[in-house]
Amino acid sequence: MARTLTMIEAITEAMAQEMERDERVFVMGEDIGLSGGVFKATAGLYDKFGEERVLDTPLAEGNIIASAVGASMVGLRPIAEIQFADFITPAMESIVQQASKIRYRSAGGYGCSLTVRICCGGGTGGGLYHSQENAAWFVHEPGLKVVMPSTPYDAKGLLLAAIRDPNPVLYFEHKKLYRTAKGDVPEGDYTVPIGKAETRRQGRDMTVVTYGYMTPLCLEAAEQMSKSGVEAEVIDLRTLSPLDRDTVLESVRRTNKCLIVHEDKRTLGIGGEISAIIAEEAFEDLDGPIVRITGPDVPAIPFAPPLEHAWMVNTEKIVAGMQKLAAY
Amino acid sequence: MASKSGRAVAELETEKSENGRELMLGLYQMLVKCRMCDEKARILFRQGKYAGNFYSGVGQEAAEVGAAYSLREDDWIAPSHRDWTANIIKGAPLKLCFAQLFGKATSPDRGKSTPAHMGYPPIHTITPASSIAGQLAVGTGVAFGLKRLGRDTVVVSFFGDGATSLGGFHEALNFAGVHRLPIIYVCQNNLWAESVPLRLQTALTDLSDRAKAYGFPGVSVDGNDVMAVYDAATKAIARARSGEGPTFIECKTYRWYGHSEIDPAKYRTKEEVEAWKKRDPLVLFEKVLRDKKFLTDELKDKIAKGITQEINEAVEFAEQSPYPDASELKDHIWAQE
Ligand SMILES: Cc1ncc(C[n+]2csc(CCOP(=O)(O)OP(=O)(O)O)c2C)c(N)n1
Ligand SMILES: [Mg+2]
Repeated sequence: MARTLTMIEAITEAMAQEMERDERVFVMGEDIGLSGGVFKATAGLYDKFGEERVLDTPLAEGNIIASAVGASMVGLRPIAEIQFADFITPAMESIVQQASKIRYRSAGGYGCSLTVRICCGGGTGGGLYHSQENAAWFVHEPGLKVVMPSTPYDAKGLLLAAIRDPNPVLYFEHKKLYRTAKGDVPEGDYTVPIGKAETRRQGRDMTVVTYGYMTPLCLEAAEQMSKSGVEAEVIDLRTLSPLDRDTVLESVRRTNKCLIVHEDKRTLGIGGEISAIIAEEAFEDLDGPIVRITGPDVPAIPFAPPLEHAWMVNTEKIVAGMQKLAAY
Repeated sequence: MASKSGRAVAELETEKSENGRELMLGLYQMLVKCRMCDEKARILFRQGKYAGNFYSGVGQEAAEVGAAYSLREDDWIAPSHRDWTANIIKGAPLKLCFAQLFGKATSPDRGKSTPAHMGYPPIHTITPASSIAGQLAVGTGVAFGLKRLGRDTVVVSFFGDGATSLGGFHEALNFAGVHRLPIIYVCQNNLWAESVPLRLQTALTDLSDRAKAYGFPGVSVDGNDVMAVYDAATKAIARARSGEGPTFIECKTYRWYGHSEIDPAKYRTKEEVEAWKKRDPLVLFEKVLRDKKFLTDELKDKIAKGITQEINEAVEFAEQSPYPDASELKDHIWAQE
């Protein structure tokens, strides 16, 4: 039976159900136990499972991940939380030198089945250090899977898939979707496959590739364009690494145009990689330039409302991109 | 050398124990084995038999052997760059250790990791990353996992004086203290971190003082006295195994050669090096054994001959082993599903 849940409820439910199902699963991070998390993603888990399995850690992101890596090496299934993607930097060593490479450097002798939940994203007045996405840093690291859901259904299914995945999975959660994204979520157990994009809207005129919080905005923009007779196909990547190249390429070969939308900074972002894939694999199918609507190359999202607004991708900017592309 | 463990006065428990002779000869044999393997690794590098680099631990064997010798088969070691021989002490076949130097397909990591950065999963030595203090953090995580699983297995983490300056070191030891993790932090203080002298690394005299900040005991021992290290380690291991938590052991020691095989180590004085070579951990221990009449010339020869033969076979195995095929480049990035 499905009910309507918010994204954050879906995330909490996935953790609770998996902890019930699998004794090896436990949660660790800053402020996740006694307080239930800054955004209440772990609300209720402490009361249900106790300190043993819902562990408030010292304020040390590097050690949160390193200790989770070590615990996974002896067969446990940790879910580590990074309170804000902005503060993942102290954990860079643990993520990119340890989690992503332990299997490779031991030729499979040691594995790392680890889920890192990371709260990210702007548009909430968080300012420079409570708004960053930073997912692209990790897409550059083979050995790490990177996912970001846009719906409560995917949030639960992707999280269950992440916990069960024998590889390290970075699970990015956009804070703006926590309570604005609502949708049907089955009560029971299911997974959403990692590495598979979802086509959210069919359309013949252009392909829009996006993910996370940008997905509902792209869908809204596509509806607006529809009024003027332009039908955009909207692909929600859901997984940023490994990328579902096939779904993107198949669509672009049909629509012959591609718009890429992401919130994170532009240079060397996901959009740059998708553009390159399309240029390499579908060059002759293109009827117009690849267009990117992205966050700007500015160090981080500034605090003052007009500045934050100027940074953020919104429906207007996406519509403008669609119009530019439609003209070809 | 001043020692907080009271080594200067107390009779060592190792010497008192009933199987003292057997144990001491075992330690001696392992010291010789590590020395000979390490010297061989250096020669092979100089002969151009393998590329990359090697970080010799010659001069520091007593710290390495003393700390790891009494570990059980199911215990773990988190080694660093200078601890290739930790694998030997824990029981890795020499063939694999030399295949590791050569980067051959028969090495535990099939030629992926660098020569000195060796781990061997069946005996629970963790293949280290090169990033200093990284292995210490992951080793702490393993101890965390073992404790959660309710096992009575322990982790020995090896690192140098330089590693104690990194943030990851502090984070790991702090966490280990909070959760009384079953881990023994063995710092081989060889007075130098590459070319940086200890006085520019820390204002401390005894690195074991750091343990105070994490709420567990720290001891400084003569790292060239294998029995002093062994005694401190067995106590720390027993403590960890019984759930009482971590111990920090500083082994004051010295590396004889450069930081790596490409480092002429011109930053150190000849006098300093010579003074430490006079305190060769093997010579010191040999004297103890001879005084006790545990070691004769005959036995010494026999031990050396046995090891030489084992090394020769291992080197031959390594030389004859194939390199990994280029098709293996993308193996082991992801779990096999
Ligand atoms: C994070 C990091 N920084 C720098 C290096 C380069 N490096 C390798 S070993 C070393 C010195 C380590 O000194 P210490 O911890 O005392 O160990 P020792 O080499 O003396 O055994 C340095 C600077 C590295 N491997 N990792
Ligand atoms: Mg040193």
